[in-house]
Amino acid sequence: MRRVFLMGCVALVSAGAFAQRVEVRKSGESKITINLGSYRVGGDVASKTFLSVLKTDLSRSGYFKVISSGGELNVAGSCVSAGTSLKADCHLYKGSTRQRLLGKTYKTTTADARGLAHRVADEILYAATGKKGMASGKIALVSNRTGRKELYVCDIDGKNIRQITKDRSIVVGPGWAPDGKNIIYTSYKRGYPNVYLTGRGKPLSSHGGLNASGAISPDGKSLAVILSRDGNPELYLKSLRTGRLTRLTNTRRGNEASPCWSPDGNHIAYVSDTSGKPQIYIMPRSGGRAQRLTSSGSESVSPNWGRNGYIVYSSRIGGRYRIAMVNPVAKSMRVLETDWADYEDPSWAPDGRHIICSRTASYRSSIYLLDTLKDSPVALLTGSVDWYSPACSP
Amino acid sequence: MNMKSYKFLFFAVLAISVTVLSGCRTKKPSSGMYGSDNMYGGAIIDDDIQLNPDNMGLPMDGDRNMFEAVMFAYDSSQVNPEEAGKVEAVAKYLNKKRGSGVIVEGHGDERGSREYNLTLGERRALAIRDYLISLGVDPSSIQTKSLGEEMPSNMGHDEDAWRQNRRGVFAIY
Repeated sequence: MRRVFLMGCVALVSAGAFAQRVEVRKSGESKITINLGSYRVGGDVASKTFLSVLKTDLSRSGYFKVISSGGELNVAGSCVSAGTSLKADCHLYKGSTRQRLLGKTYKTTTADARGLAHRVADEILYAATGKKGMASGKIALVSNRTGRKELYVCDIDGKNIRQITKDRSIVVGPGWAPDGKNIIYTSYKRGYPNVYLTGRGKPLSSHGGLNASGAISPDGKSLAVILSRDGNPELYLKSLRTGRLTRLTNTRRGNEASPCWSPDGNHIAYVSDTSGKPQIYIMPRSGGRAQRLTSSGSESVSPNWGRNGYIVYSSRIGGRYRIAMVNPVAKSMRVLETDWADYEDPSWAPDGRHIICSRTASYRSSIYLLDTLKDSPVALLTGSVDWYSPACSP
Repeated sequence: MNMKSYKFLFFAVLAISVTVLSGCRTKKPSSGMYGSDNMYGGAIIDDDIQLNPDNMGLPMDGDRNMFEAVMFAYDSSQVNPEEAGKVEAVAKYLNKKRGSGVIVEGHGDERGSREYNLTLGERRALAIRDYLISLGVDPSSIQTKSLGEEMPSNMGHDEDAWRQNRRGVFAIY
């Protein structure tokens, strides 16, 4: 009930603010020019970092072209630091009418200069277009940079990397809990593959055999998980309140993997190889008949269901993995333009426009940002170690 | 302001107060670590609930050097006739030596998605388990553990390496 009220509020606020917004052109064919030339910063590192990250974020959002004179929008204000505190004034004006779309003062610590820039970038995008941005998003991912496969979190621009697990074990397939704070993952830290949630010592699932690919429902009440406790890997639903298990598939001759939830939590998309090759299927959360979603490509794996309604996945086409997206209602499918490398494990960014995925070339995995409209791919994390299985926070 | 906009305002204020008030009653999650906004409020699950753990207390490891690994074809979890002798040797040992057991570890090559390879590795381990049981081995002395593509025995990236990595390993305890 509370959420309904909350949504009502958002709707009211949006309706009121909509009239003031700038018209957004279709599919990035031309961008809104935004002038940051008159924004003042101090000589210190933190405020300089704030401005440069803000410019990168605005430009990377895909909706803006950052310029330093003229322009359809103008950002005025200043960012200064005093000791360890950082203060930023931000005023967003329409260039033509001087109408103010946003006026706010933000305070934080100098150590959080990047975090503040991400927040301001998202607020500017929202004030100008009404769209949710991605700049404040986080990526959970796996790396072998310590020699072990540990869980990491970084900002959506690939910076601010923190190592989360130090289990000296193997982490597989991280994903976010719907609260956007904790991460669910498979680990061998107690010998067998179990499903864990950060901030909780006991595993969420530790049945005999395989426990993998855990995904928490949008309402936080259920866990979709792959278990082999009954003799074959199958898709199960587990109540996180009572621990009660419901088996959703019964495919003695096949494997199930990688469940993900529809935005309303009523359906689950997952991988099954009952047709002979791994392809994506959809099933109601209450069980019943599985509906096959994908048929093109020799393999379709790693589905991720965005709040924009589209399922993005990795499709093996002509011997290499590419990123494809499908509308599960219209069944219309599109393959994203990428180079010769393998692109896998796609995850929708919170803006519903960009996709984070891994790119493997010469057996080295790095993390890339892809735009479903027109902008070029951006390398977020590369180097002499592997970074893979990225998952974006909701 | 006409009647309609008063109603509008009334509900907006009501909605905001309900949200704020109920927000105050919700206990803030202590385990929250990442990200800025908490979309659903409250802790995801109560840490006190036991979610039926049943693989705790099982043997964690064993001796991998006693028996040869069973090799598998690409994308297959079938124990081939030419590999069956390796499983039979393990069955003979376990049937003779009561109190011992085996962890069957299923592995795959690096091609394909990691999560799918986990399930494929488990199916390989289960296929070996089924064969052991058919040879009279006590099911409770057999555990399966899939490692997917996470622990290759050959770090190479060619057909030869892939063939060696598609395997079932016996860890005897």
